[in-house]
Amino acid sequence: MLPAFALAALLVAGGAGECAAQADEAQAAEYRVKAAFLYKFGSFVEWPPDAFARPEIPFVIGVIGADELADELAQVVAGRSVSGHPITVRKLRRGSSLAGLQVLFIGRADGGRLAEILAPAKGQPMLTVTESEGALAHGSVINFVVVGDKVRFDVALPPAELGNLKISARLLAVARRVIAGPT
Amino acid sequence: MTLGAPLSIRKKLLAVVLLTTLVALVVALGAIVGYDLRSYHRSLISDMTTQAELLGRTIAPALAFDDAKVAAENLGLLKFRPQIQSAAIYTARGRLFASFAREKDAEAFPKLPENDGQRIEGQDLILFKRIVSEGDILGTVYLRADYELYQRVLDYLGIAAVVMIAALLAALATSARLQRLITDPIVSIAGIAREVVEGRDYSRRAKKMSTDEVGTLVDSFNGMLTEIERRTQELEASNREVSRLNTELEGRVQERTAQLESANRELESFSYSVSHDLRAPLRAIDGYALMLEEDYAARLDDEGRRLLGVVRESSGQMARLIDDLLAFSQVGRKSLSRGQVDMAVLAREVVSDLTREKSVARVEVGELPAAEGDRPLLKQVWSNLVSNALKYSGKRELPLIQIGGRVEGREWIYWVRDNGTGFDMRYYSKLFGVFQRLHRAEEFEGTGVGLAIVQRIVLRHGGRVWAEGAIGEGACFRFALPMEV
Repeated sequence: MLPAFALAALLVAGGAGECAAQADEAQAAEYRVKAAFLYKFGSFVEWPPDAFARPEIPFVIGVIGADELADELAQVVAGRSVSGHPITVRKLRRGSSLAGLQVLFIGRADGGRLAEILAPAKGQPMLTVTESEGALAHGSVINFVVVGDKVRFDVALPPAELGNLKISARLLAVARRVIAGPT
Repeated sequence: MTLGAPLSIRKKLLAVVLLTTLVALVVALGAIVGYDLRSYHRSLISDMTTQAELLGRTIAPALAFDDAKVAAENLGLLKFRPQIQSAAIYTARGRLFASFAREKDAEAFPKLPENDGQRIEGQDLILFKRIVSEGDILGTVYLRADYELYQRVLDYLGIAAVVMIAALLAALATSARLQRLITDPIVSIAGIAREVVEGRDYSRRAKKMSTDEVGTLVDSFNGMLTEIERRTQELEASNREVSRLNTELEGRVQERTAQLESANRELESFSYSVSHDLRAPLRAIDGYALMLEEDYAARLDDEGRRLLGVVRESSGQMARLIDDLLAFSQVGRKSLSRGQVDMAVLAREVVSDLTREKSVARVEVGELPAAEGDRPLLKQVWSNLVSNALKYSGKRELPLIQIGGRVEGREWIYWVRDNGTGFDMRYYSKLFGVFQRLHRAEEFEGTGVGLAIVQRIVLRHGGRVWAEGAIGEGACFRFALPMEV
């Protein structure tokens, strides 16, 4: 049902032309899609076995600088799991510990401090997702881009390899761009 | 199986073999074709389900991340599966997400996806398959593939026709040779049997060609022929014996008959000559007694004259006896001269001769059919019977004599009935004997030869004579003459 949410949101956004809240609506729809995508990435990425020592250890998605998305994501993942691990969404502030995260999303609001935030994640089994132009250069694995009215994403493999993450070829097949060599 | 014209065993066997082959082929081919079509149907559905599953797995990321272009690219790979005519992907909400069609404009995709499953529509297999990932329904795969079951059925029918024709021809050729094993011995027996019946030649034997039931049949048949031959020979031998005995018997009968006839003739001639020779001395006795009466009556006393009268009366009695005996013996000696005889005229002649002086009796002559025979002898019969009747009814106040006759079967029957003294049926056996009398001579005169003569004449005509009567109630004498001797 997740893509359905996203699509419905997009459609609503498209139809709200002269409305004053147009920008906010578009933003909300975009976050809804991104939230769904964030959750789905979990299905196409393989974490090293030591990332989940026990089955009950939750699959934690940390969100920095995008509380709206975090709220949205919390709704989407309620009651769902990835590979048997219940999904938890954690809102992070600057300086929060990144320990125990499987996925880290860094919102546009913190786009300026990407290098600073991504530094501790380097080499960790953590899927880092951003939505800022040029984020891949700072060591992010996946970076959302908006093409036309659709949300697409680019993937950089080197940081994933550093973090011992295996990204499914099926995911790569739907990526807009895949950066394989060192950046 | 109804067969119009009667068929020979050979043709029946052929028909049995061909029909059996046909039935076996139809069943075998039917089973093979049925099995093949079933497995084709199953494997096609299984193949297409797998294809849909694979397609779903491949396209899941494109659906998840809303990438219709990638989905269309994935679908495009189906061009390498020639039997898939078209395919489509629907989103979880039922929107057409991506599609593929082998013939571009010909395709109309269903507006909405259906539940998991497949169905046959004409010559197409339509299949829907949900795409499920991590417990979420991502969308639905739609596939339309060629369903070539009917084409296969047609192909198989063609193959079956060719195979059947070939198999039947092979069976025909094989059985035409093999059935000779069965039919030849039977045909051979049938031929021998026909020859035996037509030619009555029981010495023929059928040739034994096999040791099976037909061989047993040949043995039994030959055994039967042997038995028939033996019995025929026995029968012929016994027939010859019988005919030999017959001939012998006939000879003996002829011999005896000749002896009997000769003895009879001797007896007749003896009695004739005795009667004839008795006449001469009798005439002498009567003549001299007459002379004695005429010339010496006066010299005799009364007793002498009475004794002389007794001599004369006795000699007259003896003369009548001799006459009757001669007549009786002549009836046996004379040959019959047959001719048409009007019995009515004959009977009336006799009646008028006999009743001239004794007019007391009433004589009724009824209808009498004409007969065939010796007229004088038959007149003698009537005369004896009528005079007999007159004699024994003479003592009645109103003597009545009825004469009648009729045709009964192949005989003429005549009768003379009187109301006279009658007779006791106990002595019937003596009625027609010579010199046999049921009444005393004093009572009724007569020699006792009349009825014997009647019987002799009737018997010589091949007829029969009989009578019934009771004492005091009259008598009825009947005689029958055969129409053909």
